[in-house]
Amino acid sequence: MALTITCPICGKRNGYEFKFGGEEKGPRPEEKDLTPEAWCDYVHMNKCVAGVQQEWWFHKDGCGSWFPIYRDTTTNLEQEDQKATNQEGKNDEQV
Amino acid sequence: MFLKKKPMWGKKTKLKSSYDVVIIGGGLHSLATAYFLAKEHGITDIAIIEKNYIGFGGAGRNTAIVRANQRTQYNVPLYKEALDLWPVLTKDLDYNLMFNNCGNLNLMHSEAAMKAARMTIATAQFHGVESHLIDAKEAKELVPALNISEDITFPIHGAMFHPPGGVVRHDAVVWGLARGAAQKGVEIHQQTEALGIGTKNGKVTSVTTSQGVINTKQVLISAGGYSAALIYDMLGIKLPISVLTIQAMVTQPLKPVLDHVVSSGAYHCYANQTLKGEIATGAHMDPWPNYTTLNTAHYIKHQAEALSEFLPCLRGVRFMRIWGGLADMTPDMAPIMEGNNHVEGFFMDCGWGYFGFKSCSAVGKYMAEYMATDNCPDMLKPFALSRYQEHKLMGETAALVNYSPDN
Repeated sequence: MALTITCPICGKRNGYEFKFGGEEKGPRPEEKDLTPEAWCDYVHMNKCVAGVQQEWWFHKDGCGSWFPIYRDTTTNLEQEDQKATNQEGKNDEQV
Repeated sequence: MFLKKKPMWGKKTKLKSSYDVVIIGGGLHSLATAYFLAKEHGITDIAIIEKNYIGFGGAGRNTAIVRANQRTQYNVPLYKEALDLWPVLTKDLDYNLMFNNCGNLNLMHSEAAMKAARMTIATAQFHGVESHLIDAKEAKELVPALNISEDITFPIHGAMFHPPGGVVRHDAVVWGLARGAAQKGVEIHQQTEALGIGTKNGKVTSVTTSQGVINTKQVLISAGGYSAALIYDMLGIKLPISVLTIQAMVTQPLKPVLDHVVSSGAYHCYANQTLKGEIATGAHMDPWPNYTTLNTAHYIKHQAEALSEFLPCLRGVRFMRIWGGLADMTPDMAPIMEGNNHVEGFFMDCGWGYFGFKSCSAVGKYMAEYMATDNCPDMLKPFALSRYQEHKLMGETAALVNYSPDN
């Protein structure tokens, strides 16, 4: 399960130098009129996509950058293709 | 293996076009729920839908440890009942589950850890679960192989000793529950993938599978590490779950050397000796979500270093097999169980992290009651998904080892 992450400053490095920072969830919700539901959704809820997802990483043992990448969660490989399964608004209409 | 051979649990049947209950996932929580639905509630028209084979996921990949020394007053009674059910199930299923209550020893490596252990022990004792705090010397008397010297990375200060815990043969539980459920009329369909859940006016109407559409009014998703992805994909419900890979391994067989389950939060390692003599060990998780179930060299090295420090007699022993499984971690290290909330007739049982095995017997019993009566049993009420929104996260993270990408 080798993992390499490409840092925008340091380049391609061993995955253990980094800390996973969560799924990309869009901008932090505005404080004004913020409901517990919206806040909980932003803080806790994940899509747990088995496929390509956009996600955040922190180069903790390197330059200290925070940056998003696309990664396939079923192979652990970074993706050049900027099309994530969790960014299509898929299923947002349901339920 | 799926062609001509008759499965050990009973006859193969053709998938019907409708069932009273459809359960997605052929793991222990599904099998136990189906078994108790049939046994306790007379609901036998059940189909278990499994993409691979029963016990493919966490049910066959865990390290078989059972215990009831969790942290909070909500979790301890549930795990206590699960522990108490092993001898009962062995008898009822007429299947030797090989329950060996050899006792658990959680090592503490600092005074802060000893203090945390005191609180966990007080909770256990309050709920009638046997658990004691012992010092390093007493731990050494119980497990002579332990290294209690002070010149290791994390010297042992003491331990939480939990005598009723131990090991259950996980495959036997899968086979025993499958046979027990099938004898009561439950159908198990392997190599059948669930593809979607049909709803109408907020009610469950059908489940689409790779073998055709099934009409049903009740569906349970209890598919272990795959639950969160399935629930989002089929119903668009997001969950506070991160799916991580947990790794485990066994050494070559040795003469009897370890007659307790020994675990250490500081070393991120647990070990017990199987009846075959192998040291089964694990606990490391790479903290980024993935569905690979692959091992890492990083982890093999870590495990060897940890074991050879606190069990130095294992130096030079070889690992024979390594494997990985999925753990669906929640931010508060406690599971999510609820039903009839988002969609009428839809139930979920997930977020167990790496506690799915030790809980399956009791959870099957209570999820069956929940599905049969449509009333949430008191035992399961604290585990509703709404607790995250209400900011009532459980205190299980105060238990000894905590893995999550959130911290």
